[in-house]
Amino acid sequence: MKKTKISFSGVLLPLAFGALVLIIWQTELLHKIIGTNTFTLPLPTTIIRIIGENLDSISANAFDTIEVALIGLVLGSIIGYLISILAAIFPKWGSGGLKVIALLSAIPIIALAPVITNLTKDFSTIAPERSMFAKIVLVTLLSAVSMSVGVYRGLTDLKPFSEDLLQTYAATKFDIFIKLRLPNSVSYIFTALRVSIPTAIISTLIAEYFAEYITGVGRQIRENIITSQYSTAWAYITVACAIGIIAYMFLVLAERLYKKKKHKI
Amino acid sequence: MKLKKILFSSTFITIVWIVLLCSIWELEALHIEQIKRTPEKVFPHLMQIFESIADPKIISNDQTSIELVLTNAYATLERAGIGFLIGALSGFILALLMKFSGIIEKIAFPYLMLIQMIPILGMAPIVFAITQDIGVSRIVISGVLTFYPVAANTLAGLKSVSAENENLFRSYSANVFQTYTKLYIPTSIPFLFTGLKISAPLAITASILVDTLQGGVGLGCLLSQSLKGGMSPFVFWQIIFLSAAIGILSLQVMVIAEKIIMSHKVRWNREKNKNLI
Amino acid sequence: MLKKITAMIVAMGLVMSVSACGNTQVQTPTTPASDAAPAVATPTDTKSILEKYAGAGTIGNWGLGNEYELYALLAKYNLPLDFLSQDFTMDGFDDNSIGLASAMTYNELGLVKNSYDGGYNYGDTVAYIDMNDEGVAMLEDNLFTTKTFAEANPETVKAFVYASMKGWKYASENPAEAAEIVYNNGSSVSKEHQLYMAEEVAKLVDLSVPVGTMNDTAMQQTLDIAKQYVKLDDSAAATKLAALTLDDIRSQAYWTDIANAATFTPEKTDVSVQLKWLPQAQFMGYFVAKDKGFYDEVGLNVTIVSGGGDISETTAVSNGTVDFGVTWVSNLITSNAAGMELLEVAQVYQKSGLVLVYKK
Repeated sequence: MKKTKISFSGVLLPLAFGALVLIIWQTELLHKIIGTNTFTLPLPTTIIRIIGENLDSISANAFDTIEVALIGLVLGSIIGYLISILAAIFPKWGSGGLKVIALLSAIPIIALAPVITNLTKDFSTIAPERSMFAKIVLVTLLSAVSMSVGVYRGLTDLKPFSEDLLQTYAATKFDIFIKLRLPNSVSYIFTALRVSIPTAIISTLIAEYFAEYITGVGRQIRENIITSQYSTAWAYITVACAIGIIAYMFLVLAERLYKKKKHKI
Repeated sequence: MKLKKILFSSTFITIVWIVLLCSIWELEALHIEQIKRTPEKVFPHLMQIFESIADPKIISNDQTSIELVLTNAYATLERAGIGFLIGALSGFILALLMKFSGIIEKIAFPYLMLIQMIPILGMAPIVFAITQDIGVSRIVISGVLTFYPVAANTLAGLKSVSAENENLFRSYSANVFQTYTKLYIPTSIPFLFTGLKISAPLAITASILVDTLQGGVGLGCLLSQSLKGGMSPFVFWQIIFLSAAIGILSLQVMVIAEKIIMSHKVRWNREKNKNLI
Repeated sequence: MLKKITAMIVAMGLVMSVSACGNTQVQTPTTPASDAAPAVATPTDTKSILEKYAGAGTIGNWGLGNEYELYALLAKYNLPLDFLSQDFTMDGFDDNSIGLASAMTYNELGLVKNSYDGGYNYGDTVAYIDMNDEGVAMLEDNLFTTKTFAEANPETVKAFVYASMKGWKYASENPAEAAEIVYNNGSSVSKEHQLYMAEEVAKLVDLSVPVGTMNDTAMQQTLDIAKQYVKLDDSAAATKLAALTLDDIRSQAYWTDIANAATFTPEKTDVSVQLKWLPQAQFMGYFVAKDKGFYDEVGLNVTIVSGGGDISETTAVSNGTVDFGVTWVSNLITSNAAGMELLEVAQVYQKSGLVLVYKK
């Protein structure tokens, strides 16, 4: 009983707040508060109208963005997870290696993107293919970094007694790894994904700025902002946010399912 | 025995990794040199980049390439620093508010997540319209981009306070202010630093990103200009190395700050205990 | 789909070696070619050149509002309106992934041809198609403000236009000195490239007519091309664009021929102007006017604000953050279609600076 109440207020309160913001936005009260005009910050109804008018092109662009973000995120997460496991097996070398990998994340995406585009030019003679490949490589790299760093922490931060306990059972290092560290790491995958999902989406959007083949939500946002088409830009911004929220909701759902299953066992 | 100690020291391991990374870089650079017409634009040798740092040739504004890069880096770093301070402070305060009131937490937390999802380019014109100043907009946006890790981690820290301790404070009938200053905030400090360690390099990359909103002084501006050409292509590569170095350095600063504050905290606790005895 | 993904996964591990399957001939740095082929394409071969690169799908442009002249040109020859995105660099042209690349005569073309820092040293081995020759030219760099500002401060606008055009005349007559002035005022490019740029920009400022003149024929052509090729997703903006007339975007009332001496009584004396890109000789007139004291003469204290970011000069002027801006006429048209109230007050470049460059 209590639990349903919690999730009820947890959903309803933010929704009510969102509705309130939408109302003061639509009634232009928001514009008065922050001192802007309906040109820079178009009304929700205008944004919805534009989305409705351009459903075909918007969904085509959104599909291209989701495709890159998803493939990059999945590949990057797998690679990152494997790296973190390797690093946990050889902790001395692993932590050093992870430090080096973390160097990558300190380079701004806007510097990485053109380099990767240049390095992947020979992947295909067909521009849309090599362009997509370049974007995926970038997203994969960044997702791999955040996944490996996040999970490594999970693999190495064990509750102090559990390892001792297993050691007293004369468990081998391999056993400890399989029985203790590996299961322990799963919940850290979720924690890492909380960071890497927004990272993957935002880096896809930025990678699209530099991509050879013009497509994607990010490119459309930039294209429209620079040509002062703020209403259209906001339509795409709304789509970008929706992609992020939906992805995040899937994550929360998956995490709940996992916890439920774990709880049962 | 001594040799073994050296071989497994973390410094040695880091050096090996760096050497490995450099050799991969060099192999790729050699490969690019074979297949590209202007390899130094696509992937130069490390040596060429280092040579360009020492090159006394004037690039523009009567500055050599490294002087130019450093001048711009200073501007970016300054904005990143201010943005980081504002972001960290507001993140911390918001975490306190969220701990203080469950309603605030429920309302604010999903939207904190949402702000992360808004492409920066979308926020920029709005922020610009509000602040009417590109410098302030840059600071605000890099602040916004950096405050989430601080808010989320601090909140986790505030929530990690055990029920026993809360009961203890309640039994002493401590007021809200005392509970926060003596219990919640001290407990959340290590978590705050986890957030700060994530935020600090993020503030730097965010600051470089917002540089590109408008021309002027800043690493991001110089980055787009060096890509565009009309100056030594090595300026671009110097920026890549420098931004990575600054990012790592900012993390190290947080690590050191954490050590200093934690040791103070331990000492302070010890003195407090002594007084009790 | 799955196959594509698998291919990508495999290739990802091999980023370093995949290059082998592409175009891998080692190209030796070009030595200036001795063949006497002219640098500008003749009308007869324009068609075959465009067809060749359109067929290969390797025509490049930056997009972001710079593509309308290219569209008009492709439409003229009945070719599909497709192009690849050029990033900041000319690397795509260099590695042949872009065969026919967009370039500004004063900037990218110089980088492609010349051997100074940042250049690609193609010398005379490249040729180009000129938009002016093809009849699809659109007017570029102009000076604009908002209608509100112009109505409230007519004398300020007149004074600023007058002094700026004086600067432009001086700069176009003395490009070497202008390049030096820009270089000393926080230039973003090397000295050599600055000089090249100043000389090329001077060619776009037609000194046979008074500097800043608005040629209605050229301006109407710009508006017509924009109406035809600017695609706006917002139906309200698209309707507005279709209805735009020249009087909605420009006014000659604030322009005075600099051949005549004039005095002004500016309402606002501290003004700012935002450039379209970082400080470089593309904007030399304003730097010269400031440096030579032309702004002081008319009683103005001018701040030159660097552009070159995602917050465009049109947004900054419309917001009121700066008073004046330098932009392309096509950008001004799309901005007004979207709801801004911008007003061009002087036309600096009388020709299009856009060319399509290719290897001979």
